[in-house]
Amino acid sequence: MSAAQIAALVIFIGMFILIVTEKIERHIVSLVCALLTLVLVFGVFMHSGEAILNSLAIKSFIEPSFWYSAAESSENSSGINWATIIFIAGMMIMVEGMGKAGFFRWLCLRLAKAVEYKVVPLFLAFMIMSAILAMFIDSITVILFLAAATIELAKLLKFNPVPLILSEIFCANLGGSATMCGDPPNIIIGTSLGYSFADFLTNTGLMALVSLVFVIIYFYFCFKNKLVSKADSSTVYPDPKDAITDVKAFTISAVIFFVAVVLLVTHAQTGLTVATIGLFIGVVTLLTSGKDAMVLLKKVDYDTLLFFIGLFVVVSGLEETGILEIIAGFIADISGDNAKMTVAIVMWVSAIASAFVDNIPFAATMIPVIRVLAETTGCSLPVLSWGLAVGTDIGGSATPIGASANVVGISVAAREGHTIGWIRYCSYMAPATIIVILISMVCIFVRYF
Amino acid sequence: MEKQLIISLGREYGSGGHDIAEELAKRFGLPLYDSNLLEEIARNNSVDHDELKKYDERPRMPFFTRKVRGHSNSLEETIAYMQFEYMKKMAERGDSFVIVGRCAEVKLKEFPCLVSIFVLADAEAKIERIMKKFDLTREAAKAQIKKENYNRKAYHNFHCPVKWGDSRNYELSINSSKLGYEATTDMIEAYVRKRYEKM
Repeated sequence: MSAAQIAALVIFIGMFILIVTEKIERHIVSLVCALLTLVLVFGVFMHSGEAILNSLAIKSFIEPSFWYSAAESSENSSGINWATIIFIAGMMIMVEGMGKAGFFRWLCLRLAKAVEYKVVPLFLAFMIMSAILAMFIDSITVILFLAAATIELAKLLKFNPVPLILSEIFCANLGGSATMCGDPPNIIIGTSLGYSFADFLTNTGLMALVSLVFVIIYFYFCFKNKLVSKADSSTVYPDPKDAITDVKAFTISAVIFFVAVVLLVTHAQTGLTVATIGLFIGVVTLLTSGKDAMVLLKKVDYDTLLFFIGLFVVVSGLEETGILEIIAGFIADISGDNAKMTVAIVMWVSAIASAFVDNIPFAATMIPVIRVLAETTGCSLPVLSWGLAVGTDIGGSATPIGASANVVGISVAAREGHTIGWIRYCSYMAPATIIVILISMVCIFVRYF
Repeated sequence: MEKQLIISLGREYGSGGHDIAEELAKRFGLPLYDSNLLEEIARNNSVDHDELKKYDERPRMPFFTRKVRGHSNSLEETIAYMQFEYMKKMAERGDSFVIVGRCAEVKLKEFPCLVSIFVLADAEAKIERIMKKFDLTREAAKAQIKKENYNRKAYHNFHCPVKWGDSRNYELSINSSKLGYEATTDMIEAYVRKRYEKM
């Protein structure tokens, strides 16, 4: 191994350890590691100004295909994936606007009213809504609002909210796997490898749909004895309209959300890239928010965006020095010429790793790996991509720390006194995760081999 | 009491700090909050107190915990956060009380009515007390003291920017094995009364 490879690997492993220990904020860790990658790996050891420029990927902004293209084919997996950063930032602004106007709480209460506040229909409806919302909105926001509404309804209807919250978390992660914008790994995979929204919907989306049916049945049988309400006839139900804090802002945010969904679904046809859509949605939300624009801007999770920027640079260090090719070669050696085995390894390794570590750095690291695997083993790159997407998106559901939605859901429940420990969480969620990964693997084998 | 008074009492396991806090609460006619703070929280949320108690004053498990936008899956961390919020709410509405542990000397530092005390004891005195209280062998008592004090220290140091037991964080740090529990309580009482006059 060369000095540059050793340095890139040490920086990457060091970053992972520091992220897991949480001693230092993860965005600071990733930015410092990015700086070390630029200075030590690219500067001192490789003497490559080109590698630094590739890693920063600033020139991607001036390429027309960054903003307008039939697909995302121009994006290179090496370096900072600015399309992902801009898209996530735009969606964050939109979601803040929606939350502030009371959109999510209204939606939850409206749905509860539609099922006449009955626990079992509520359980089923919230699972489906969680999956659908997570297809377009980040799962943290979905669970933040859904879990809060579930607890509010649980107090009112006197039922245990934990079964609902667990199933909502799982469905949010599952729904996120269905689309290109549902989960950050998918955005990174889509923009790096040039897939469209429709590509995801017709591949991972179909797998998610089939899985959702099984997941609903699974959770129903797990929790059916607990889905009992002790509410009496004196219960006063909330009016969904009360959730709306500002009618004008509510209407505008609902329209912007609708436009965002339409633009995302049709982006392969319109040629608008996710970067353009993210920028457009963010700017329109700010322009229509008036004096609240500054409040929305302040609420953007800049730490996460900075974390992504640093992460992309660190991963590019592994890519430029050829470390990821070594990893790809190792996987290729294990699987031999068996393409099915290669996909299965990518899927299960991704799922198991994502159950314990952040799936975003993992996915960002694996993209160059599957690209090399496709070139060297002849295995289809799209099939490897769907395997990677499902593995990383769903694997995170298995443990409390696997995905952001899990952490937020558990925390929201605990703040109201409903504790969900590791054993309780894993006893329901790990089997569901295994079921979905197995279903998805069967779908991939049947469809593509 | 005319003016608001909050006494926070940090303590080493086996130092008798809890008993001293109980006695102080009696002498000042104040409610005492320790793990019963969670009982109040549980009652308010209509949830099982025993379920919450398991995570009371416990450090979080580092490799089994993740934080996302201010949320943590660590129940130890969330339960601690709930108690901090509850303590603050009580202090903000002007309640007077005695609180044992729970990082109160840091979390309620902004309140001028706070008197913060830390009770420690000699190792031998702690061992004897725990042996007697729980009918344990010397070795078992020693192990229990080590474990409990480790938990308290880790819990405190995770939630606070200052170290557990560091005398600079408290108005008064006192070794209960020097004067005995009663005389120590008398001394603390006298100090608190003087402080109360000056508030």
